[in-house]
Amino acid sequence: MADLRDMQDHVAALVARVSPAVVEVEVGHATGSGVVISEDGLVLTAGHVGEWTGRRVKFTFPNGKTARGQTLGVDEEADAGLMRITDPGPWPHADVGEMKRARLGDWTLALGHPGGFDAKRSLVARLGRIVRLTPGLVQTDCTIFPGDSGGPLFDMYGRVIAIHTAIASSTIENFHVPITEFFENWGELTALPPPPPPPRPQAYCGLSVVDDAGGCRLDKIEDDSPAAKADLKEGDYVLLVDGRRIEASAAFNRWIAESGPGETLQLEIKRGQNVFPVRIKLQPQPRGVK
Amino acid sequence: MTDALPSPGRLLCLLLLAAGLALAALAQDQDNSPRLPRARYRSGQEVLDAFAPISAQMRDSIVELNVKEDTVALGVVVDTNGLVLTKASEIKSGRLTCWLASGKEVEAQLLAADDDNDVALVRVKAAGLKPVQWASNPVVEGQWAITPGLADTPQAVGIISTIPHRIRPQRALIGVDFDLDATRPTVGLLESGFGAEEAGVKPGDIFVAVDGASVTNSQQVIEILREFRDGQTVRIRFKRAGREFDASIKMMTPKAGQAGFRSYDNERENRLSGDVSLRNEGFEQVIQHDTVLEPWQCGGPLVNLDGKVIGLNIARASRFATYALPSGLTRQILAKLKSKAEQPQSAAMKSPTDER
Repeated sequence: MADLRDMQDHVAALVARVSPAVVEVEVGHATGSGVVISEDGLVLTAGHVGEWTGRRVKFTFPNGKTARGQTLGVDEEADAGLMRITDPGPWPHADVGEMKRARLGDWTLALGHPGGFDAKRSLVARLGRIVRLTPGLVQTDCTIFPGDSGGPLFDMYGRVIAIHTAIASSTIENFHVPITEFFENWGELTALPPPPPPPRPQAYCGLSVVDDAGGCRLDKIEDDSPAAKADLKEGDYVLLVDGRRIEASAAFNRWIAESGPGETLQLEIKRGQNVFPVRIKLQPQPRGVK
Repeated sequence: MTDALPSPGRLLCLLLLAAGLALAALAQDQDNSPRLPRARYRSGQEVLDAFAPISAQMRDSIVELNVKEDTVALGVVVDTNGLVLTKASEIKSGRLTCWLASGKEVEAQLLAADDDNDVALVRVKAAGLKPVQWASNPVVEGQWAITPGLADTPQAVGIISTIPHRIRPQRALIGVDFDLDATRPTVGLLESGFGAEEAGVKPGDIFVAVDGASVTNSQQVIEILREFRDGQTVRIRFKRAGREFDASIKMMTPKAGQAGFRSYDNERENRLSGDVSLRNEGFEQVIQHDTVLEPWQCGGPLVNLDGKVIGLNIARASRFATYALPSGLTRQILAKLKSKAEQPQSAAMKSPTDER
């Protein structure tokens, strides 16, 4: 009960803190949602809201204040889109998080304007959990709806971790684009100067993993790779990475994908009956390897 | 390293609120990404168990109402003599009984109904029922919203989604298209089968006043008419050939295919929202929460972590919203219904009709 009360206080404070950065966006005859992530008015949204670069956009903040702007780039495949408020700021904005620490079962907060902007109601908050994680898509049981498109999914620290993209008929089928997808094509998405920080170079550890009944198993280890140097063996199981339990290969792969070259990861490995720690230093991707 | 491509499969619907909303059938689900066990979902058993201390103590304050053996709604116990509030539109005619937490089924009787907010007062023939306690603090966005039932654990849980607000009645029409070339609000065409035609309104008639308020443009006419529900009668003053006259026109909600209403939108909406309450619009004020309920799970209390009632669940409204009448409003309605029920039988049992 004390936990429920703490969580309630936390979520209520979170809603109040992050709401000012969530906007309704109007492009042409369509409306969706978005979230401001910088003081000068960079807005994350879904690709299908803006559709293409250089269109005029009207933003409406929860307090009814409006601002003008334009669409920047669109990544159709990931359904990621960026927009910019061109009116002078500063604008209320939200922090951006990362997906690699997101786990199945994590609580999330979805904000947006389902059904379109409604002044007497304003922003609509929904709570749910991450029920499925794939590298290109997050599924939650936060019930989103047309009009929410482009709105933010927050973690419990109040950081944007994904953007609402689609639903299927069941109320537990709500899909969000992981924030990682935005950063992978950041250069294309911004489309206009000034350029934001470049995406991180891919890290290389030289192993592949598969799922079996025992968990996430090392399948192949490349010669002279960071994995080989750390004395990992094929058939080992990865239990933890940096203290987080790894339940499946996708979780491990995502962790590597979101780590940078030069980072050192602390693994816990199970080999036969033995469980022991291993430190592995990631390298830059060798040329010719994707 | 290769990851299976994400493929959520089945019918995906992009969320953009736009005319040409895209529906895309994606490739069959073939990735092996792990899923959260269902018990750990927001309204999974593991989560509901955490709320058991609150819902278990509410069991004797809730009833399940049945019409001809079908459970149609929950009810909230408001006194020790078996008075219960519930959702009026679910209480159709027929033998009314209710289930108690003890497992007993007892007789119930409809005493009075409030058509404005869809609340009914019912007498349950049972002893030992425990009236609820009403919360006095205003609700806050993000706070837990718990819907208890007859079981130890809640039916479902959610959070408060928005500030309390009014919900307009479902759009009803008088069946008139405006003459767009006229400077004053003027009848252009009449939709057949609607109230205006029936009341003898003719093309060229000019709107002078609607429901007692004078009007000078069509927007004003529309705004005033928006407040009337299906079946209500609105008085409109028209001017024809220099003479003014009053017409009483019955408002009507168009059915699919009527007056340009497309059934497609309704069908799509239903597919994405699941089952919603038949009466889900037209409330003075609601607390909107994200709890996923079945329509029959409305009519009972919405409670906070103290087990106090913050609202009466009055409608499952859409995929993302359930509405509850705030406790203050609910108590006002209760007082009104009680005095209505004490009036002579003939007046009290009159079916709720137009009150305008």
